[in-house]
Amino acid sequence: MRDVANEPERSVHLTSATEAARAFRHHRIRLVRNTVRVLISGSLLRMLMILICSAVFWIVLFGMFFEGFMFVGMYVDLKNAIIEHLFGMFFLSLLIMLFVSTGIIVYAGLFQSREAAFLLTTPAATDRIFAYKFAEAVAFSSWGFLLLVSPMMVAFGITVSATWSYYASFFIFLLAFVMIPGSLGAVAAIGVANYFPRRQKTVLIMGTSGILLATGFLIAQVVTTPGSALSTDWLGGLLGRLSFSQHPLLPSRWMSAGLLAAARNQWADSLFYLMVLTGHAGLFYLVAAVFARDLYRQGYSRVQGGRSSRRRSALYGIDAAFHRVFFFIPRPVRLLILKDLRTFRRDPAQWSQFLIFFGLLAFYFLNIRRLSYDVQSPYWRNLVSFLNLAVTALILSTFTSRFIFPLLSLEGRNFWVLGLLPLKREAILWGKFAFASGISLVATEILVVFSDLMLRMSTGMIALHLGMVAVLCLGLSGISVGLGARFPNLKETDPSKIAAGFGGTLNLLVSLVFIAAIVTALALPCHLYFAGQDASELRTFVLSEERFRFWMAVAIGVSLVIGAIGTFLPLRIGIKAFQRMEF
Amino acid sequence: MIELCGVTKTFGPKTAVNQLNLNVRAGELFAFLGPNGAGKTTTIKMVCGLLAPTSGIVRVGGFAAGSQQARQLLAYVPDQPYLYEKLTGREFLRFVVEMYGLNPRQAEARLVELVETFEMRDFIDDLCENYSQGMKQRVVFASALIHDPKVLIVDEPLVGLDPRSARIVKDLFVAQARAGVAVLMSTHLLSIAEELADTIGIVDHGRLLARGTLAELREQLQSRAPLEDMFLQLTGGTRPLANGRFMVPQGEST
Repeated sequence: MRDVANEPERSVHLTSATEAARAFRHHRIRLVRNTVRVLISGSLLRMLMILICSAVFWIVLFGMFFEGFMFVGMYVDLKNAIIEHLFGMFFLSLLIMLFVSTGIIVYAGLFQSREAAFLLTTPAATDRIFAYKFAEAVAFSSWGFLLLVSPMMVAFGITVSATWSYYASFFIFLLAFVMIPGSLGAVAAIGVANYFPRRQKTVLIMGTSGILLATGFLIAQVVTTPGSALSTDWLGGLLGRLSFSQHPLLPSRWMSAGLLAAARNQWADSLFYLMVLTGHAGLFYLVAAVFARDLYRQGYSRVQGGRSSRRRSALYGIDAAFHRVFFFIPRPVRLLILKDLRTFRRDPAQWSQFLIFFGLLAFYFLNIRRLSYDVQSPYWRNLVSFLNLAVTALILSTFTSRFIFPLLSLEGRNFWVLGLLPLKREAILWGKFAFASGISLVATEILVVFSDLMLRMSTGMIALHLGMVAVLCLGLSGISVGLGARFPNLKETDPSKIAAGFGGTLNLLVSLVFIAAIVTALALPCHLYFAGQDASELRTFVLSEERFRFWMAVAIGVSLVIGAIGTFLPLRIGIKAFQRMEF
Repeated sequence: MIELCGVTKTFGPKTAVNQLNLNVRAGELFAFLGPNGAGKTTTIKMVCGLLAPTSGIVRVGGFAAGSQQARQLLAYVPDQPYLYEKLTGREFLRFVVEMYGLNPRQAEARLVELVETFEMRDFIDDLCENYSQGMKQRVVFASALIHDPKVLIVDEPLVGLDPRSARIVKDLFVAQARAGVAVLMSTHLLSIAEELADTIGIVDHGRLLARGTLAELREQLQSRAPLEDMFLQLTGGTRPLANGRFMVPQGEST
């Protein structure tokens, strides 16, 4: 054995930056190629379904935006300042969303993934690893953004008869734009890892509160604007209040002004904003890369060493109360529900999103009277109440798709534990179903009662809505638990990726169809009845009191049947698949 | 080759590694033993540059741990190996080859040699997502050796390996050490340490309690007992018996 412990190695061949860059480039090409091959060879049907769903989503959005622009175009010049204001607000919202989502993805990719630990032991430079993970995070966080923005911008281009160069420049604008919030999000993620390595939850809670406050402020601006809603004065006043979105230092302003200039064929202006945008995109990326070069490795060490070792309060009082209240559920199932509740409670990423979704909805419902919906005619109040209900159900479906569907997949490597538990396998699924529908019922019933009280709806209608929400909650929970068991992804640990997969997408689609069926079945007779109350000339086409009662009874029967099918069929499919599953 | 001088690592109020001094020379196979939570993995992660020491110095080949030079010399095989699910084993090895800037022709020959050594011919061109734990472990060992590291760090090396693969890996450790590589191996399997290690270090509560060859350890502890008994004497003193009574290492039941 040679004693060279203290002697530096004389000749260490170092991997050059070019070699590392080439290695990452080849690596990414191989990964993408293999992923596409697996997708195509694995299930052509699945691939086709994803493509068709995306295309349908794109076309529906395009149609909505196109009709919207045509409608607005009847009253205002689409190339004028109002549209610039609206685009400014829209891109500012996207800027904030991309900042948050890219920041979270970069944090998970750089500090919590096993891949990061592997890469950090290779000779690749730290900023090169960052570049590789950053590109992945930006692509992952902004593909949905592209799907949302592209139909809007294409619809706008067609409405204002823009030339082809507008469409071409749009993609360059978009690429530069996503780099800015992405880079800032990455800087924030690296900062959190370095300076708050044991405070991720605090940061997340503060971030959630910030978003809620900012959105609350915006809604307050809308509802307190004087004047009759949607009148010219009201719109002028509102745009004045929201003029901060037009601040010349905001990238969202450069984006909207640049795109509008391109649509107007003002190429000098458009190029100016494009240069400002790309210049800043490059600068911010550089800042993020320098941050990563100097602080990534240190931050990684701090995060790994900063795992909280504090003992968790088991809240045994709550457990005991839960057992007493739900004494009728078998004890093993109750224990499984408690396990899921604890996991939910200890994961702020889950309940913070839940809070944002339903908090914003509650805020809107509380302001219904300020929007003067309650003094409108019964027809309008009925329409608004059903719209509120549909929105609540849609938000609930995103919740069940995002959190309930992945529940069973997240058991992952511990799946065999569930399989070996001394209880029937179907009881495990019933437990998950009880957990999902319990949380959903509590959140949505309160919201819907709120909404109806604010709208001064009759007791009968409130009772109808409560029943309808119960049917929706049970159905959406049944769909998510059932399909979650039918299409589990036991290899993935990230719930957002599980939800974004084939099973998750199918779950969301089935949920949307279910909501549409239930809401339409009940809203249709109500709509026809109240339309008659409002417009006497239509009386011959609408329902009389007596026929209304009959058709409502039919509608309730139909919705109950749809609800039962929506709840039990997916659960039955899930239970069958779960019973066949090998561990 | 691996040098830790007065290294301490704290996680909040907990001290995981406490004033640790350790040298692993080129050509030495060092077995790092200790109970769960003794600080073995923390030490290994500091050597790999994944964790920064709270105080003290960690060097690899004379370079600061975590520097590019240190990483270029080092290969790390963690207890839970990471592979890209959507790459084949061969593609993963090529990625490592490119990452270390190796000559493609020489590296390809080395790759073929390692495929033969670890008997990976049947699955090397399948996607890693279809591999068993043992297959993954073999690919990771091959990736660690493909760039001829000067320092090989292995955390629980035999997890998931069948007896034949385990034999191959054990022979490789010895061969690597004899070729001048410093091998730092953390394990719970005392028999492996007894069989392979040139030097054994026993760590508990972040402190190195004993270090030396098996003979030196016996001399230090004035014991002729097997390594297992010496280990228990150093780290706890007693061990449970099946009937619920406890026995001190000298064999007197209480």
